Amino acid sequence: MELFDNLLLGLATALQWNNLFYCLIGVVIGTAIGVLPGIGPIPTVALLLPFTFGLAPASALIMLAGIFYGAQYGGSTTAILVNVPGETSSVVTCLDGHEMAKQGRAGPALAIAAISSFFAGTVATIVIAVLSLPLAALALKFTAVEYFSLLVLGLFAAVILAHGSVAKSLAMVFLGLLIGTIGIDVNSGVARMTFGVPALADGLDFVPVAMGMFGLAEIIANLERPAVRQVVSQKLRDLIPSRADLKAAFPAMLRGTFIGSALGVLPGGGAALPPFTSYALEKKLAKDPSRFGKGAIEGVAGPEAANNAGAQTSFIPLLTLGIPANALMALMIGALMMQGIQPGPQVMTEQPELVWGVIASMWTGNLMLLIINLPLVGLWVSMLKIPYRLLFPAIVLFCCIGTYGISNSAFNVWLMLGCAVVGYFFIKVGVEPAPLLLGLVLGPQLEENFRRAMQLSDGDPSVFVTRPISAVLLAIVALMLLAMLSPAVLKTRKQALAE
Amino acid sequence: MTRRRFDWPDLAFGAFLIAVAAGALLATRGLAGGIAADMGPGYMPRAIALILLAFGLFFAGRGLLRGHVGIERVQLRPILGVGVAVGVFALLIESAGLALASFAAILIAAAASRESRFFEVILFGLAVTAGAVLLFIKALALPVSIWPW
Repeated sequence: MELFDNLLLGLATALQWNNLFYCLIGVVIGTAIGVLPGIGPIPTVALLLPFTFGLAPASALIMLAGIFYGAQYGGSTTAILVNVPGETSSVVTCLDGHEMAKQGRAGPALAIAAISSFFAGTVATIVIAVLSLPLAALALKFTAVEYFSLLVLGLFAAVILAHGSVAKSLAMVFLGLLIGTIGIDVNSGVARMTFGVPALADGLDFVPVAMGMFGLAEIIANLERPAVRQVVSQKLRDLIPSRADLKAAFPAMLRGTFIGSALGVLPGGGAALPPFTSYALEKKLAKDPSRFGKGAIEGVAGPEAANNAGAQTSFIPLLTLGIPANALMALMIGALMMQGIQPGPQVMTEQPELVWGVIASMWTGNLMLLIINLPLVGLWVSMLKIPYRLLFPAIVLFCCIGTYGISNSAFNVWLMLGCAVVGYFFIKVGVEPAPLLLGLVLGPQLEENFRRAMQLSDGDPSVFVTRPISAVLLAIVALMLLAMLSPAVLKTRKQALAE
Repeated sequence: MTRRRFDWPDLAFGAFLIAVAAGALLATRGLAGGIAADMGPGYMPRAIALILLAFGLFFAGRGLLRGHVGIERVQLRPILGVGVAVGVFALLIESAGLALASFAAILIAAAASRESRFFEVILFGLAVTAGAVLLFIKALALPVSIWPW
């Protein structure tokens, strides 16, 4: 079986001592930032990117991936114990998880959350392994034409499935594409929109953009709100859930894993949408829906499984097609490029130990998370006692040093400052910055493939609809756009995102 | 929310897009556009800028017509505190070294919050600075000097 060979190859990579070590660092950092509200995985990964430069590609990706799914675990811990979702993906866990904690059942709630996450993580790892091969094989047949259509599909789907107004998100994608064209044009060697700044010749670095818009702008907006006092009052008693708990939680866990895996694969997927969907489904299926919001264990198990599965399967488009499903995966692409690896389907065949190593590391990482989260839960909760007034200056400083560290240039720090101001403006006018980051990262690829496709077809744009694969991809885009315009879909989308 | 004449978020976002598109069109006016089969360096930026311009006009127009939404009041203290801290760090890092730049950035950033306490911030700043020097220079080998001399 090729699948088992690949998984074994991956395990061999993931179980190397140094990779286990980086995986551990990743999941510990991930849990920490998941616990702390006000700093998410995006600025953290951006911050650590420059320092992964010296690592082997597999180690770098293993660590960065660990941060992402580690954050899902950490986020649910605080959601249950103090009713503060560390990440958006754990907002739903607050509803029933914290209610359980109030009833003195914090232990079982935490245990169920961790077990569900581990179960979902394990299944998702297998899903990734099964789906990756055929997808990558398909993608190898792609020429510039299909690639362009695929990129368009990825960008549009990411916009449609994400939060916020579709029109505004689309505008943000184009804004990202525009600033992605800054720098020297690879084909003609002419500098474009560099305004005579030599530091811009290689294009805008996305790390300062990401840190400014996601890290600093968030901080500025957070400081405008009055501080919230968090009280940790729960004494943790027995962690072991009862047999009845497990029996009630298991079907929800299964369904959550399925929903998370399916939604995570879609471009624009990730960890935010699946838990909401899972919670809604559990509530609908329950014999007595009124129990939800009052400490129903299914309301913890389902969404927790869903967010972890989603976090992991959102790696599929990245690993097989080289297309990021969300802003965080865009950063992963950046990490690959910094290692000198051009993301795309060829990575799977050229660097199998990298791809399968990362996949297998998700399983080892989940096992580590289970161990470091349950017994050490008290330690993580005590991190919440660090007041925000001390936390945020430290984050500001680390953003500065991290940005400076990418290429030792003060210019990048100024760029980050500019992006922070623009990002703050976006928050004020209610626009999501994530699509911009996707556009920025995918822009150069999109232009390159578009130009090559047009050269092949001698400037005839109909080539995109006469080639079958490309036509199908673009038809999906058109269908999605049409569906978005229909009032019925608009309404349910609004409900789904608002819930 | 008080009643407003315009949808300010839309209007502001639209105006921002129009400004960016106009800037891009201006900055790329000297670049050769080429034809679709053989694009010049100016083709894509200009095409994208035109699309952005359309988006900008759409949002601005909608903002003018739809109306009645305000923007939450901008508070100067957070944005100034964080902004100046980053700026000072950028100015100091190459000339004064990591230690001073870090300490200054922490102190100024702390001023962004009303809740910061003077002595606590000084102590915390010293500790974080020491930590940053150890982590980034000693452990991660960031090539930058610690002190100005």
